[in-house]
Amino acid sequence: MDFQTFRQVADEEAAALHIEEYELYYQVEESASVSVFRHEINDCSSSNDGGVCLRCLVNGRMGYASTQLLSEESARALVRRAAGNAAVLETSDPEFLAEAGQSYQAVETSRAALPDTKLLSKTALAGQDALYAQPGVVDGSNTEVHAHRFSIAIHNSRGLDLQYENTLTFAVLSPVVSDGAPEEEKATGFKFAFGQLDQLDLSAAARETADEARETLGAGTAPTGVMPVVFSPKAMSYLLTFYSEVFSAERVQKGLSLLKDKEGTAIASPVVTLVDDPFYEKNPLPMPFDAEGTPARRKNVIENGVLTTLLYNLRTAAAAGKTTTGNAAKSNYDSVIDIQPFTMYFASGELTQEELLRKAQNGVLITSLDGLHAGANTISGDFSLQSAGFLIENGRKGAPVRSFTVAGNFFDLLKNITAIANDPQPPFFPSSTSFVSPSVLVEGLTIAGK
Amino acid sequence: MIAKEICERVLQKAASTGADYAEIFAENTLNHAVDLVGGKVDAVHDAQIAGAAVRVFQGLRSVMATTVDTSEAGLLRCAQRAAEALAEGRAEVSITLRERLFGDIHPIRVVPSGVDNAVKADLLKEACAAARDYDAAVVQVTGTLMDVDHHILVATSEGLWTQDRQIRTRMMVRAVAEVRGETQTGAYNPGARRGMELFETVKPADVGREAARQAVIMAGAGYCPAGVMPVAIGSGFGGVIFHEACGHSLEAASVAYGNSQFCGKLGEKIAHEKVTAIDDGTLPNEWGSINIDDEGTPAQRNVLIENGVLKSYMIDKFNGRRMGMPSTGSSRRQSFAYAPTSRMTNTFIAPGSDKEEDIIASIEYGLYAKTMGGGSVNPVTGEFNFAVNEGYLIRNGKICEPVRGASLVGKGDQVIQKIDMVGGALACGQGMCGASSGSIPTNVGQPLIRVSSITVGGR
Repeated sequence: MDFQTFRQVADEEAAALHIEEYELYYQVEESASVSVFRHEINDCSSSNDGGVCLRCLVNGRMGYASTQLLSEESARALVRRAAGNAAVLETSDPEFLAEAGQSYQAVETSRAALPDTKLLSKTALAGQDALYAQPGVVDGSNTEVHAHRFSIAIHNSRGLDLQYENTLTFAVLSPVVSDGAPEEEKATGFKFAFGQLDQLDLSAAARETADEARETLGAGTAPTGVMPVVFSPKAMSYLLTFYSEVFSAERVQKGLSLLKDKEGTAIASPVVTLVDDPFYEKNPLPMPFDAEGTPARRKNVIENGVLTTLLYNLRTAAAAGKTTTGNAAKSNYDSVIDIQPFTMYFASGELTQEELLRKAQNGVLITSLDGLHAGANTISGDFSLQSAGFLIENGRKGAPVRSFTVAGNFFDLLKNITAIANDPQPPFFPSSTSFVSPSVLVEGLTIAGK
Repeated sequence: MIAKEICERVLQKAASTGADYAEIFAENTLNHAVDLVGGKVDAVHDAQIAGAAVRVFQGLRSVMATTVDTSEAGLLRCAQRAAEALAEGRAEVSITLRERLFGDIHPIRVVPSGVDNAVKADLLKEACAAARDYDAAVVQVTGTLMDVDHHILVATSEGLWTQDRQIRTRMMVRAVAEVRGETQTGAYNPGARRGMELFETVKPADVGREAARQAVIMAGAGYCPAGVMPVAIGSGFGGVIFHEACGHSLEAASVAYGNSQFCGKLGEKIAHEKVTAIDDGTLPNEWGSINIDDEGTPAQRNVLIENGVLKSYMIDKFNGRRMGMPSTGSSRRQSFAYAPTSRMTNTFIAPGSDKEEDIIASIEYGLYAKTMGGGSVNPVTGEFNFAVNEGYLIRNGKICEPVRGASLVGKGDQVIQKIDMVGGALACGQGMCGASSGSIPTNVGQPLIRVSSITVGGR
C-alpha cells in the first residue's frame, strides 16, 4: 500500500473515532554504503527504511503511535493506538498542531538518485589508496562511502502539507597509524568528506586525518592540576553536542536544566555569542521547517554573554507565553516531538588558534574528547572526560599527551571562556542537527594525568 | 512471520549470483514506553518495527539489503539488490529449509504488550513517588517503564528456519537533588528478559528510593580529587570496567581486522591471574540473554579469560571467516536495519576469593567507586573511560566521605593486569551497549574488585 492510500484510511478512521486534530509524519530513507579493508571491498549495504508516525489530540492531550507496516489494518490500528495512548496522559500544557499557509525560506537540496554500487566502490577503493599513500598508515585502516536519500512529509488536519527531500553522499576515512617500533604504538583518526562522490578531494582528506593521527604518536601523560585549556574546533563542537540540551525549553520546564529563569541574564563571558542557524552555509542539510512544520529561522541563543532565548516548540512556547523558535525535532520518525537546534555554533572571534595558545601560555590543547554520554551530566553541568591533545608550553603547542581527563562544569565553562578563535571547521558529522565551533580558550579547568 | 516456502525462494534469489551463504533476518517488534515527569504521565512511546534484511557472503565479502516491504515481491526485490551488489555471476541453487526450535530458556509469565498503559503508569508512579518522598532535597523525578516484544525470524542457506521471541522489561528512574545550591542526579535502571512479573521481585518503590539515595548523597558531596590512585570498584554495574577495558577489544568486529590490543594472544596471559571473565548468553531471564543470536546460532557460555589467560574471542559468522574460527553465538543487531556483528551478552568477572573488607582495608588512600555510569573504548589503542556515579574516598583502609564528578581512564591491556583483588559476591547491572550494529541490551557484572592504580579524573 502506498502512503497516499494509507493516509486516506487513517483519515477515515480518525473521522469514525471523532478525532479532529491529528498529524501524519511520514519518512522514507534509502541508503547505500561500501566498506573497504586491505584494498578489497568487504562490506556493502543497500537499505530501505522509514515509517509513519501519527499523533492526535484527545481531550487536549497528544497521543503518538508509529508503524513501518503500510496496510489498511495497520492504518486503522495506528489511529486507535495513538488515541489510546493519549487517554493515559496527564500533561497540563495545551498542545497544538501547526497552521497551514505559513511561508518558508527556500533551501537548496539535492533530489539526485543514489549513486550506483560501482561509483560507491570506486570511491571507497580510491579513498583506501589515498589513505595508504600517507606515511605510517597500516592495516586496520578502513574506508567507507555512504549515500543517503531521505524524504519527510508532514500532513495535518489543519491543512498543513509539507515535503522535504535531500540526498547526502560522503566518504569516511579511518586511518590506523603506527610508529613502526618493535613494541609498536598505534593511533587512530577519522574524517568525513562530503560532496558529490566524483568531486571529493580524498587525498586532502586522507592527508589531514593521517597527519592528525600521526601527530599524536609518542604521547606522554599530562600533568595533574588546574590550568587553562584550549579546545580545538572538533573537541568544542563535540562538547556542545551534548550540552546543547540545556537550552531546550522542554528540559527547562521539566526542571531538568539549570537555565530556568535565566533568559535575559548573563550566563556566559561577554566574548560568547551562540547561534542556531537552519541555513548554515557549510551544513549540506539546510532545513526549511521544524518537525512540527513551523518555519525554521536563525536566532542568537547567547548574545555577548546574555541568554537571549531558549529553544522552543509550539507547546513550550505557549506555556512560557512566547512564540516558538521553530526548534521542534524528532530524532527519528517514530519519536515524540522534542527540541533540538539545527546548526548550533559559537560565533568566531578574531584571534588565530596560535594566538589563543600564546594567551594560555601554559596548559593543555585538547583535540579529542571521549565518553561524553557517561562523563557529561547535562543537569548539573559537571563533566569529567577522557581527553587527548598537546601540552601548551610557553605559549606554543608542545608534546602530544593522551589518556588524561578534563573536569569542570559546563555552566562555569561558559563564564570562563576568555577568547574564541577564528577557525571554525565545517560540521564534522553533518545532519539536520549539527554543531560547529572555533578553537576556544577556557581558564581554570582541572586536568588529571600523572 | 514469513512462510518457509517464501524464504526458500528469497534465499535462492539472494544466492543467484554466486553467494556461498545467504540469510534472511525478519522482525516484528513492539517498542513501548511510558514516561513520567514530576509524578504525571508525560508521554507514551508506541512503535511497531517491521522489516527484513537479506545478507549474502562470498568469501570475505558481505552484502546486506534491507526492506520494510515484507511481501514476497518486496523480499524478492531486496534479495535481488543484495545479489547484484555481491557479484555479477550466475548460479543455480536449490535451498530446502527445515524448521528448527531451540527452546526457550527465558520463560515469560505476563507479556507486557498485553498490559494496559494505566497499569504500567501506576507502577511507575509508585517508584517516582518513593523517590520524591525519600528526602526533601529531591526536587525532580523522571521515570520510564519500557518494554520490548521482539519477534525475529532467521532463515539461512544452510537450511535453518527458526523464530524467537525476545521480551524485555525495564524500569528507569532518575532523581534530581539539590543540597545548598548544588544540583546532582541519581539513577537506577533495573531490567530483565522478563515480562511484568519483573515487578514481583524488583519493587518499584525500591527503584525510586535507590535513585533518590544516590542523588541526595552526591548533591551533598565535594568534588573527587584528581590523580593516579588505587580504586575499589563495586559489584554490579561496576563490571562496566571489564566491558570497556577488555570486552569490546575481544569482539571479532575488532579482532578480525587487527584492530585490537588482544589480537593473536589466545593462550597468553593478558590479565592478572585473579581475573576470570565470562560472556554468557544462556543465563535464564537475564537482561543480556538470548536463546539464539541474530544469525540463528544458539547462545553459549564463553569463557573469555581464565585465571588471566585469554581463552576465547566473541565471534559472529562473517568475521569468523576472516579469523578462521566458528561463531560463538555472539552475533547481535538492534534491528533489521543494522548489519549484525559480534557483541557481548551478559559479561562479568567471575567471583574470586578475596574478602570485601580486605579489599577496602588494603587501600591507604584511594577511591571506592560504589556505583558506575557508562563508558567507551577505542579497541585499537585500548584507551577507555567510564564515569563514577557514586564515589567515596578511602583513607587508611576505611570508606570516608562521598565525592562526585569522577571518571576513570586508562588502557585496557594495562588495567586488566592491575585488577589484583577480586571479591566473592557477583552481581550484575543492566545497560544498553552501542556499536556498529546498534544499541543492544547487555549485562555487566563483577564482585567488588581492586585496581591497584588508575587515573581518576576529578577536580
